Amino acid sequence: MAVDWKSFTPVLIPDIPNLQDIDVYIKNGGYEALKKVVNENDWSPGQVINEVKDANIKGRGGAGFNAGLKWSFMPKPDGGPRYLACNGDESEPGTFKDRKIFEYNPHLFIEGALIAAYAMEVTTIYVYIRGEYYSWIKMMEKALQDAYDKGFIGKNICGSDFSVEFHVTGGAGAYICGEETSMLESLEGKRGYPRVKPPFPAQKGLWGRPTTINNIETLANVPGVINNGADWFRGIGAESHPGPVLYGISGHVNQPGVYELPTGVPIMDLINDVAGGMRNGKKVKALIPGGSSTPVLRGDSLEGVSMDADSLREAGSMMGTAGMIVMDEDTDMVETLWRISHFYHHESCGQCTPCREGTGWLEKILLKIRNGEGEIRDLDLLLDLTTQMEGRTICALADAAAWPVRYTIERFRDEFEARCKKSVHAVA
Amino acid sequence: MSEIFIDGTRYEFEGKPKLLQFILDQGKEVPFFCYHPAMSAPANCRQCYVKVGTPVKNQETGEYELDENGERVIRWFPKMQTSCSMDMQDGMVVHTQESSEEVARAQKDTMELILINHPLDCPICDQAGECPLQIQTYKYGPEGSRFEVKKVHKPKRIQLGPRVTLDAERCINCTRCVRFTEEISETNQLTITARGDKNYPITAPGQEFDDPYSMNTVDICPVGALTSTDFRFKARVWEMNQTPSIDITNGKGTNVDLWTRDNLILRITPRYNEAVNGHWMADEGRNAYRRFNENRISRPSIKLDGNNTSKTSWNNAIETLAETLESHTNEDILVIGSGHASVEENYSLMKIMNLYGVNDFVFNPHIENGKGDDFLLTDDQAPNTTGVRMLGYKETGEDQIKEKVSKAKVVIMLADELIDRGVLSSDDLKDTYTVFMSTNECDSSATADLVIPVTCIAEHASSYVNVEHRIQRSFPAKETRYTNRSLNLEMSEGRLDRYGTNFDNWVTEDNKIDCLPVWELMNHLSDRLNLNIQFGSSREIMNEISENVPAFSQVSFERMDDEMGIQLNAANKEEATA
Repeated sequence: MAVDWKSFTPVLIPDIPNLQDIDVYIKNGGYEALKKVVNENDWSPGQVINEVKDANIKGRGGAGFNAGLKWSFMPKPDGGPRYLACNGDESEPGTFKDRKIFEYNPHLFIEGALIAAYAMEVTTIYVYIRGEYYSWIKMMEKALQDAYDKGFIGKNICGSDFSVEFHVTGGAGAYICGEETSMLESLEGKRGYPRVKPPFPAQKGLWGRPTTINNIETLANVPGVINNGADWFRGIGAESHPGPVLYGISGHVNQPGVYELPTGVPIMDLINDVAGGMRNGKKVKALIPGGSSTPVLRGDSLEGVSMDADSLREAGSMMGTAGMIVMDEDTDMVETLWRISHFYHHESCGQCTPCREGTGWLEKILLKIRNGEGEIRDLDLLLDLTTQMEGRTICALADAAAWPVRYTIERFRDEFEARCKKSVHAVA
Repeated sequence: MSEIFIDGTRYEFEGKPKLLQFILDQGKEVPFFCYHPAMSAPANCRQCYVKVGTPVKNQETGEYELDENGERVIRWFPKMQTSCSMDMQDGMVVHTQESSEEVARAQKDTMELILINHPLDCPICDQAGECPLQIQTYKYGPEGSRFEVKKVHKPKRIQLGPRVTLDAERCINCTRCVRFTEEISETNQLTITARGDKNYPITAPGQEFDDPYSMNTVDICPVGALTSTDFRFKARVWEMNQTPSIDITNGKGTNVDLWTRDNLILRITPRYNEAVNGHWMADEGRNAYRRFNENRISRPSIKLDGNNTSKTSWNNAIETLAETLESHTNEDILVIGSGHASVEENYSLMKIMNLYGVNDFVFNPHIENGKGDDFLLTDDQAPNTTGVRMLGYKETGEDQIKEKVSKAKVVIMLADELIDRGVLSSDDLKDTYTVFMSTNECDSSATADLVIPVTCIAEHASSYVNVEHRIQRSFPAKETRYTNRSLNLEMSEGRLDRYGTNFDNWVTEDNKIDCLPVWELMNHLSDRLNLNIQFGSSREIMNEISENVPAFSQVSFERMDDEMGIQLNAANKEEATA
């Protein structure tokens, strides 16, 4: 059944002027969900977790794991510190939606993070924002200070026994720091290297203590679930992948931007109706659905595909961060793929061999093809290299580098072959 | 007892060992680079891949589920796992490259990637011959390269510190060196700079890698990226002999290997001994190799009129020593033992002189307060202070020894450079006849009236008792004028020894020192003084010591070899000091 997205009213970034102002936020029902869980006796931490679990909020950072289930992995409190690390690094090309929350509705995220902290009995919250996003760091600092001043953060929040500290940390601007365990290393003041799992962060996270890592948008969904119930949330969008989503639409559309809509919106509707259609009336040649690491789809395969995990899996891709990159018929896929590979080569942290060496090799071969010096056998070598990288590293950066190569070549091979120089065959 | 099945063979295990170490402990092999048993496992080289599965258990009964053939149903991990970081579980099934094509392919793939930017300069690389990357590539790597684009070029010949030189191009980013400074030496002097295929280990700007243990990173570097500045280009490992020995620069008794070529010690590396030094040694001990080659005393010398010294024959030296002893009363003779000499040397000197009638045996411990740390360096600067003490030499301070020397007419000093280290001055020995049995030219030898060259630790088998009362022994690594590798069963033979001849240009007689072990010298003296005592080999001397000196009861070379040294027990210590 098609999702009715046209009648949807945004909840994450509603059209309310000055919502970043805490008084405006409170006036519009802000922090009610927090008061509800910390003050009313019938909301134990376990019940909050169960409600969020029932709502089936799939993580909006890309992996799409049930947020409530993730919270339930935290061990029982032992009296020591426990942490919530909020991931606002947002470094993937094509992904630019968390900044909208920082800018227009920061208190929604803060409230969600506080509820999560209450549910997991966390003592300190960190929000990690990419260093280049200086304005948003400043905005968050202001919003946090306002929340401290109003007694929503700090000791005995809203007169309850619940106390928590909340800090902003600016990252150093490395893509890898958006990977959850690298982010922990970075928060600890170290070089951004992913950690080997197990132990998982819930067992051994920040400074060796239990830690949960959630995406900003994921946490921003939590107050709505508490205020309106899990059923309300599950009633929005696609059944198996419910809730509102911030679609970051970029590329060759007339009105690129961040749009809040339910999951399960047909891709062509997003392009034609939401983003104002293709620029200059061109056809869609290719689409990357959820940030540059998700497999590219051919434009002629998009009919009937909607933006939810099941539909995209069936089409051969994934939801990722819902950062859609739309490419028109004039797009040079060889050039595009080389640019993407250049990015991953530049951003590989260099810890694991397949990623450190493989990303560079991919880029160099693609550069050769781009310059018209490639051969057909180079395409097969590229595909073979992706198999040497996928699933063979500590984090998923190698996968993120390999998938665009594999799927772009598989789905646009004719274009790559046309760019290769003619192979010279010996004649007997 | 838990069980695990590796390549179809069942093994039992206790506790929670990591899979790679367990496989290695069984004598099997899985290639790896970043793993080191003494450090954390970052699992970053991705070389030690294995395929792992666990048996499926019925949730209700707790019994293993069985398939139609009665075999346990195995749930395989969706991805291959790095065995270095993998915790073993009861019933686990493991396929290594021996039994799985998939694993062998994955290992080959990783090695291909490691090699693409690694310069193939094995012919000039110092690590050649003992390079894990070279060896693993030969055994498990790809046959050729598909890399036809430009390699990454990184900085070469970076002087990281006074003793370590980096060739960043060869680095495979295993981070062993960085982890060493974080986890073992705890100086945190190294880190990785840059990202991706451009990264390499380096110090912070303006900082030197002068960690007192810096050269251990050279040992653990699995490629030729970190090299010993001193040893670079001096020799190839296949040209050298590797001989077990003990560090002489302090009292820890660090186990080392002496590497020789053409009868010169070219480098010293640590030898694993969990009870003493683990895998490591201090840089100071490595630099001691020069002492075995340079500035050696070769052939006895005697002081003539004034301060003129002259080389003399062994016969004349022994005759002079005997005549000197005979021309004085026993009370005029002082014997100064040495913590820098072995148990056997101190014992044989003490025994002969004791039989001759001398009773005054002293030594001065070589202690430098503040030199020690909580790791492998000690304040005690001698390798055998405890051994000398246990033999019954009386420990004397500086003032006491000065007083004793001033009263003696003849002083016999054994391998302890007392003037050089400021315990005595030349003036203190002005009115005494000084006999110095030593290894190296120094102020003490320049002052002595009779200098008799004796073998150093690199030239004889002997034992040393460390500050923790552990007795350990050395093997001869260098020939002297009077020893021969093929005739001395204690000595190892390398390729050049076996296949070289005197006509080869890598062989020279110049590197053989004209010296004798102390106990052979004592045999000659014994003959001359009609004492009717003859020592056999150092092995026999230790057997004799173990029978005669309670502190060394049950000690033998055989036991030291089998047990990598013997911890002398507390009861023995009490007897020795009683």
